[in-house]
Amino acid sequence: MHLRKFGISLFGVMMLAASSFTVADETCMSPYMAKIVGQEDYVYVWTLGVEGLGDEQDKLVTIDVNPKSKTYAKVVSVLSVGGRNEAHHSGLSDDRHYLWAGGLDSNKIFIFDVHTDPRKPTLHKVITDFVEKTGGVVGPHTFYALPGRIMVSGLSNNKDNGGRTALAEYNSKGEFIATHWLPTDSDLRGAKKEGKYADGYGYDVRVQPRRNVMLTSSFTGWSNYMMDFGQMLQDGEAMKRFGNTMVVWDLHTRKPKKVIDVPGAPLEIRCAWGANNNYCFTTTALTSKIWLIYEDDNGEWQGKAVADIGDASKVPLPVDISITADDQGLWVDTFMDGKARYFDISDPFNPVQKYEETIGSQVNMISQSWDGKRAYFSTSLLGNWDKTGEADEQWVKLYEWDEESLELSHKWTIDFYKEKLGRAHQMRFGAYSLYSSKSENNKKEVTLLDK
Amino acid sequence: MKNFLKITITIVLISNLVFASKDLEQERNLIKEERNNLALGWRDNLGYELPLPGTYSLYNIREAGDGKIVEENGKNNSLHKLMDGKITLMSFIYSNCTDTNGCPLATSVFFKIQEKLKENPKMLSKIKMISLSFDPFYDTPEIMKLYGKDLSYVKADWDFLTTNSLDSLEPILESYDQPVIRKYNNDGSYAGVESHLLRVFLIDDKKLIRNVYNVDFLHPDLLINDIKTLLLGNE
Repeated sequence: MHLRKFGISLFGVMMLAASSFTVADETCMSPYMAKIVGQEDYVYVWTLGVEGLGDEQDKLVTIDVNPKSKTYAKVVSVLSVGGRNEAHHSGLSDDRHYLWAGGLDSNKIFIFDVHTDPRKPTLHKVITDFVEKTGGVVGPHTFYALPGRIMVSGLSNNKDNGGRTALAEYNSKGEFIATHWLPTDSDLRGAKKEGKYADGYGYDVRVQPRRNVMLTSSFTGWSNYMMDFGQMLQDGEAMKRFGNTMVVWDLHTRKPKKVIDVPGAPLEIRCAWGANNNYCFTTTALTSKIWLIYEDDNGEWQGKAVADIGDASKVPLPVDISITADDQGLWVDTFMDGKARYFDISDPFNPVQKYEETIGSQVNMISQSWDGKRAYFSTSLLGNWDKTGEADEQWVKLYEWDEESLELSHKWTIDFYKEKLGRAHQMRFGAYSLYSSKSENNKKEVTLLDK
Repeated sequence: MKNFLKITITIVLISNLVFASKDLEQERNLIKEERNNLALGWRDNLGYELPLPGTYSLYNIREAGDGKIVEENGKNNSLHKLMDGKITLMSFIYSNCTDTNGCPLATSVFFKIQEKLKENPKMLSKIKMISLSFDPFYDTPEIMKLYGKDLSYVKADWDFLTTNSLDSLEPILESYDQPVIRKYNNDGSYAGVESHLLRVFLIDDKKLIRNVYNVDFLHPDLLINDIKTLLLGNE
């Protein structure tokens, strides 16, 4: 009887119109996060400082990307952080109030306030004791929003500077909670080893909450990612120190369940959005393949190489990937040839390349809007791995994507060397629509008066 | 000339603000449309097997914030006093929230928890549930009393709380990192809650936050499992 009563009153209130935040984000970020489904206002670019260029410091660069703005396609804010840290990836908190950005060399984590004034972020907090607090994790890489928390994936450790590493969990205030080490042959931590490897390496982290699954991928440790790229390629021992695994975790308990062989350094992980699409994609940097990590009919998670990316013998080096919101397309950037490739993944077991375009002499990251109409590209991979000489272009470019004719069209480029900013790496979006109307009206007013 | 410029600038400014406001409304409507699937918590089955209670860790996330609140009977009190000696589930809601996957979901999950535990009064007696309003203007103690009427019918300890003012509420929201978007009229006056990020907090008897759930995790079976895990840790 009481249930019925509750049901009726609930139905009544459902008839009225209101809403909470959505729980997803522009195609590649945490499903826990509010997402911008329309036009983004700003792109925040976590940028590596370069010796002899500008103030030489790492910085957060804010680009105005709203076509209706008078400062469209211009840098509107530069926030330097007082040194070089090997700036790399960044990630937003679940409420999108803060942007966490890491330094792979200094192990510092910079937390920027991007909600008080989305046009002009401020530095809110710097975490300087990451290695000590986590018990020796080095190289804070991915910053992935969980409810009220951030999961930080490491790349290395302070014992041998190799690839053995862990996930570090922080609360939304930037306080350390726990370290979750990746399983190794000597300590599987209860996980089942499926193939040859249990290397304990780490790189990216993503989740499929409805399946209670968290996935991690694997790259290489500090001794490699801080080494000169050409030198490393010649060093046979160094080339053995790359990850060959992905780990399936119980998301709720944070316990590793299964280690899957994915040879050749599986990097970025992108999970499908569809309610019944229980799979994620990754690409392997050294073997140039798309891998599907999927739940089979028995509820077991498996890994399968499903497509080649370019000619593997030419080492195109797949780097960032981006899945479309409808799970029908996957963008794959390849660093060495500077190309963006678009794969039809409507059959996830048989991705088919439909389009490719050279974006520049080198390309690393891609961030696409939720509607898939805009794709932003940036250049830098790692300070010591970027190309040299004239090939060392550093920019952010916007392209528009026509999904009917399958064609990218270039809209604008911001040259990060010409602007004396540095090497452009991770890009994240900001929008006024995420925050209270009173405050953004105030900010708009200030913005307009500034002009 | 100076006055002309001033007027022109004012017109441009106002028109820009109007455009900005229309754009924002459109953007927010898109966000609302995007969210149309019923969340996990509305389903009977969680969809995956839960671990046995007590076989996993619920980490100390941080201390639960305190703050001045008003009970349904109009009595002033503090959050911490209400939490004393109990394992607390707390959600922020507002009475006229109608997002299917927002406040009604949180309230429904609390309701289902007491339903599922009504045959286990010993466990139920160790749990406090708190629904605290985002909106001190509209959600008076009388409204919160009406909101909770018929919801807490078994011997569940479920409070429907509000605050005296935004000044009392904001520090509480801040301490729980609970964002909310509010609406304002053109004259700057308050027009209610626009939307919020759904969060439910599991707080142990030492007033430490041990888990935070959002729409992807908010299911009664999962919450009961976590409460059992905390209780086993206390034994």
